[in-house]
Amino acid sequence: RFRFCGELDCPDWVLAEISTLAKMTSVKMKLLCVQVLKDLLGTDIDYDKVSKLTSDAKFETGDVKASIAVLSFILTSAAKYNVDGETLSNELQQLGLPKEHSTSLCKSYSDALEKLKEHLQQQSLRLSHLDSVQWRVDYILSSSELKDVSEPCVQMKLNVKNPDTNTVSPVTFTVPADKFRVLLNGW
Amino acid sequence: MLLVLEDEHKKHLSFLPSVDIAVVKEFCRISMEFIRKGTNPKVYTSAAQKLGVEANSVQNGVEGLMYLLTEASKLLLSEIDYQDSIMVLGFSEELRSMLLELYIEHSGEIRTILSELSMDLPHYHNLEWRFDVQLASRSLRRQITPQVLFKLHTETYGERKTQVLQTDPVNLVHLTKVLDEALQEMKSPYCRRIVRNIK
Repeated sequence: RFRFCGELDCPDWVLAEISTLAKMTSVKMKLLCVQVLKDLLGTDIDYDKVSKLTSDAKFETGDVKASIAVLSFILTSAAKYNVDGETLSNELQQLGLPKEHSTSLCKSYSDALEKLKEHLQQQSLRLSHLDSVQWRVDYILSSSELKDVSEPCVQMKLNVKNPDTNTVSPVTFTVPADKFRVLLNGW
Repeated sequence: MLLVLEDEHKKHLSFLPSVDIAVVKEFCRISMEFIRKGTNPKVYTSAAQKLGVEANSVQNGVEGLMYLLTEASKLLLSEIDYQDSIMVLGFSEELRSMLLELYIEHSGEIRTILSELSMDLPHYHNLEWRFDVQLASRSLRRQITPQVLFKLHTETYGERKTQVLQTDPVNLVHLTKVLDEALQEMKSPYCRRIVRNIK
């Protein structure tokens, strides 16, 4: 039913925590939004600022965690389904978030939407990244098997980055001249 | 049920009444710290020096206390059973009430720590997915093949492993149907009868 949940029902816990969010003033909620957006885009969240913002509304640690969680869910879910600010604001008001809170949340959301989408795309599943390629062409003069070889061959080193561990491991192989021509022309 | 203490255990715990009640309180705090983080032999030697007794008796006393707490938490002793079990040690009223307080306050935490010590199988940590459409390959051009790629992250004893899996949408629908049926099995009368009897 809700576009920001992907045309599905809104989860129960989100409904419950929206009423917790409504307890804060809309200005404080906007500042909390800014903090949560910083966290979603990769920089660390400043918990001291968050506790200062929530201390006025007398939130316990459970409430603080819940409000951060619900804001992260709303923002990532809306960016995931590419919902524009207007629709998000209407749907949040339908769920019971007061008008000023919805408008301030959607303003921060619209400003950060492009960056959020870019960040989410980079986080999407990728098996490996090609970091860099190094090559070298050698000319083999002779070997222990044959006295006169006289053939060029290519040494390739592909540096592959594993997205989970961020470690770069080299994959090395050598390609004789004719195989290399097949490889190139096969594309 | 009662906790039956072995003779050697009783001997180790008999060190406790011989010191001040404040020292026993300190021992209680040390034993909880050791249950949380592991033992530290330096504490034994420093305490033994301060009290003027052997380091061995301090160690036996503290470890006896730790064992008493873990056994009692493991068996989920009620307060009455716990009190009856330590009655046999012949401690003073104050000492017994302090041990009881220690048990009540920390039994939940000790049970959580004990549950983490048991055998660990690889369990679910995270599942990433991606929906692709293969348009062409080196062998065949102009295709439309939908594929779903999964990366399953599992965790065993703190070590993470990943597994890459691939399926097509038809198989995926079948998979979800079978898993749904497994969940629905919980609502069958047979399972309901068993769950009722366990509770």
